[in-house]
Amino acid sequence: MVKLDRINISNEGLTKFFSPIEAQIMEILWANKESTTPEITEKTGIPLSSVAGTLDRLVKAGYAKREMDKKGQRVRYLYSATESMNNTANTITKKVLDSLVDTFGKVAIENFHTYNNKK
Amino acid sequence: MVNMFSIKKEIGCYITCITGSSLLPLIGIHIFLALLLFTLYLKARRPVIRISSLIAAQLFMLFAIGTVVSAMQCSQMLTIEIYTVYVILSTVLIMLLPKIYYRILIKRYRAQPVTDIMDWPQTFVNTLTEKAKVYYYDSAVPRAFASGKSIFLSMGMLELMDDLELKAILAHEVWHLRHNNKTPVLRQLSLMTFTKNRSENELELLADTFAEEMVSETAVESARAKLN
Repeated sequence: MVKLDRINISNEGLTKFFSPIEAQIMEILWANKESTTPEITEKTGIPLSSVAGTLDRLVKAGYAKREMDKKGQRVRYLYSATESMNNTANTITKKVLDSLVDTFGKVAIENFHTYNNKK
Repeated sequence: MVNMFSIKKEIGCYITCITGSSLLPLIGIHIFLALLLFTLYLKARRPVIRISSLIAAQLFMLFAIGTVVSAMQCSQMLTIEIYTVYVILSTVLIMLLPKIYYRILIKRYRAQPVTDIMDWPQTFVNTLTEKAKVYYYDSAVPRAFASGKSIFLSMGMLELMDDLELKAILAHEVWHLRHNNKTPVLRQLSLMTFTKNRSENELELLADTFAEEMVSETAVESARAKLN
């Protein structure tokens, strides 16, 4: 689990759920079918030393996946997002809702209803 | 217990036995030479001189300890018994560890033989040393290390470096493997003489020098630049 266990409501955008570097990398993975490590470092402008560890973590947490690409005597990783951005949003939303219901029970559910009516 | 351990009694024992011993000048010379060599180690710049003076200093410390022990006339010296057990245990552990540790590393990193994905790194290593096996493991973080008879490269390292730089890194690790049978001795000497093992930097520099000779200076430098 990357950061979902430590949601930060006051942060902007995806950094509520991911660290800034994780968010930047996930955006690139969602926008592209396949990305190589140099592409990711170039597009984010973040040094490899930070990107590499973050990629390992994202893969371990299941948000990103990588395949080894062999080209003659060279090897490289090809990264892609495990799920589309929408599906990931779905997973995150469910987890947050679950934890709200788990803590506040009925009150949380009543709020979901009124939230829906307001719309 | 009849002979209760008393540190005062034991220190008294040391003082009486050493001052009354004909070995006293020898102990003095050993300690003097050890200090001299430690100073040389601290002042010297060249890695080879630093390491050899450190080892020599530690050896003289060890001689001094040995002479002190042989000068002792008292029986049942607890400090000497503890020291003997400490030396035996640490020697066994330090000599055994490299023979086992690389297997733990292979499991922990789920390392695979590099020949599964490319042949030349293993072929290159074979030209430098016998019986060393190159492994790779799944991680984007560029790392290389050696243990036992194995060299480990992360996928991140294979991705990042061009062929010449990889050769430099492999040569660097081969140097470590070639000298692996000696590095435990360094650690052991430090343990036995209660001095800190500060030879890591020197070892890295010597490994780099070897890589420069085997591959090229520019390859070592560009690999180092990529890693910083």
